[in-house]
Amino acid sequence: MQEEQSLTHRARQGDKEAFAQLYENYFDKIYRYVVLKIGKADAEDVTQQVFIKALQAIASFKWQGIPFSAWLFRIAHNQVVDYLRKEKKVIKVPLNESSSRSDSDPQQMAERSLDIEQLISATRQLTRAQREVIGLRFAGELSVAETARVMSKSEGAIKALQHSAIVALRKTMSRTGNNEQG
Amino acid sequence: MNRDKELANILNDCLERLLQGETIEQCLQDYPQYAGEIEPLLQTAVAAKKALAIQPGAEFKARARYQLQSVLKEAKPSRGLPLLSWQPRWAPALAIGLAFLLAGSGTVAAAGNSMPDSPLYPVKLATEQAQLGLTFSDIGKAKVYVELADKRVAEITYMVNQGKPEEIEATVQRLNNHLAMIVSLSLVEGAAPGEPPAEEAAPRLMQTPAAGVAEAPAPQLAETPAAEPAPEEAAKETPEQAEAKAKLKELLKQNKNIHPAVLRALLDEVPDSAKPALRQAIADAEENYQKALEALDDEDGEDEQGKKRHGEEGD
Repeated sequence: MQEEQSLTHRARQGDKEAFAQLYENYFDKIYRYVVLKIGKADAEDVTQQVFIKALQAIASFKWQGIPFSAWLFRIAHNQVVDYLRKEKKVIKVPLNESSSRSDSDPQQMAERSLDIEQLISATRQLTRAQREVIGLRFAGELSVAETARVMSKSEGAIKALQHSAIVALRKTMSRTGNNEQG
Repeated sequence: MNRDKELANILNDCLERLLQGETIEQCLQDYPQYAGEIEPLLQTAVAAKKALAIQPGAEFKARARYQLQSVLKEAKPSRGLPLLSWQPRWAPALAIGLAFLLAGSGTVAAAGNSMPDSPLYPVKLATEQAQLGLTFSDIGKAKVYVELADKRVAEITYMVNQGKPEEIEATVQRLNNHLAMIVSLSLVEGAAPGEPPAEEAAPRLMQTPAAGVAEAPAPQLAETPAAEPAPEEAAKETPEQAEAKAKLKELLKQNKNIHPAVLRALLDEVPDSAKPALRQAIADAEENYQKALEALDDEDGEDEQGKKRHGEEGD
C-alpha cells in the first residue's frame, strides 16, 4: 500500500514511469472486471478507455484515505455504465448455449468448472450490488475494505453482499444444470 | 451476532485464506459446525475465480501499452519551441512564422495531442515541419523522422480504435514518407566520403501525397535530405555525434520491433479498403528500419576498419 501511495504521488507529479507501473499493476484486473460486466466483445476498448481517463484525471487524484485502487475501479465502473448507456447494450449470453456441457451431476457442475461466458450469464441473475461485489472482489481482486470504498458501503455490508451473491450464484448454476438435464 | 452475519464473516475469512493458499478443508476445520453450509459456497467461489482467470490477448496488451505510451509522450510539454531563440536560417524561420500566423501559439500547443480527425491536426503537421526545419544535422533530422513515424503509428492505432478508417490511408502515406526519409538520411550519414547517397529510397520521397493528405508548409525544407557532408567533416565524428547516432540506432531498433507488430495487430480490425495500405506500411516498416540500421552499421564498420588501418600505419 505504501509503495502504491508513493507511485500514485509520483504519477500525480507527472512521473510517467510511475503511471506506467500503476497501469501494469492494474491492467489485467480492470480487464477482467470489464469482461464480467459487458462481455469480451468490447472489453478491450473499454479497458483502454479506463486508463486514458485515469491518465487525464490523475493530477486531481487525492489519496486522503481513498486508495488508488478504489479510485481506478470507480472510473472503470463509470466507463462500464457509460458504455451500456450509450450502446444500449444488454449482455445476452443464452444460458443454454453457454452451458452446453454434459455434466451429469448439476450440483457438481458449479463446483467443477465454469467458463467466463457461463459466469457472465449467471451474474446477470444477481442484483446490481451483488454483481458489483463479485466484480470487484473476484475480478478486480480488491480487499473487502477497498470494495467498501468503491461502493461507499461498510465492510460488514460488503461481506453480507458477497455471501448473498455467492448463494445466488450457486443457485443459478444449479438451476441451469437442472434445466439442462430436464 | 446473528447467524447470517456470522456466516458472511466465516465465508469471507475462508475466501481470504484460500487466496493465501490454504485449502477448503483446512479452513473448514476451524468451523466444523458451519462446514455443510460454507463448503458448497466456497466451491462456487473457487469456480467463479477460476472462470475469471482470463488474460487479455497478448496483441491487445501490446497495442494498448503502445497507445498509452504514445499518449504519455504526447502529454509532455513541447520543448521544441524554445529553440526559436537559436539563430534560425530564414527559411525555417519563415516556416515557423507561418505556423504561428496560421495557428497561434496556444493552438500549436493544443494541436500537439490532436489526431487526424481533429481540426487542429494540420497545425500539428505544420509544427512538425517547423521542428524539422530547425534541425540541421542529418542524424538529428533522422531522429525527428523516427519520432514522427512513432506518432503516425499511434495515430493509425487511434483511428482504427475509433472506427474511422477514412484517415488511415493518408496517415499510412505519411508514415511511409517518414520511413523513406529515415533510410535516405541514414544512407547519407552512413555513406563513405565522396560517395553519393544511395538512390533507392529517393523515389518514394517524391511520391505524390495521397489525396487528402494535408501537407505542411514548406515541405521542401523537410523532405530534402541535408547536403552530403564534406569528406573532412565525415571523417571527424565528435563524441556528441557518436552519441546521437547511438541513440538513433537504439530508436530504430525499438521501432523495428514494435511498429510492424502494432500495425499487423490492426490488420484484422480495418475495413478491406484500408488493408492494402496497411500491409504496405508493414512491409515498408520492416524493410526501411532494417535498411537504416544497416546503413548506420556500415559506417560503424568502416570506422572500425579505419581505426584498424590507422593502427597498422602507426606500427
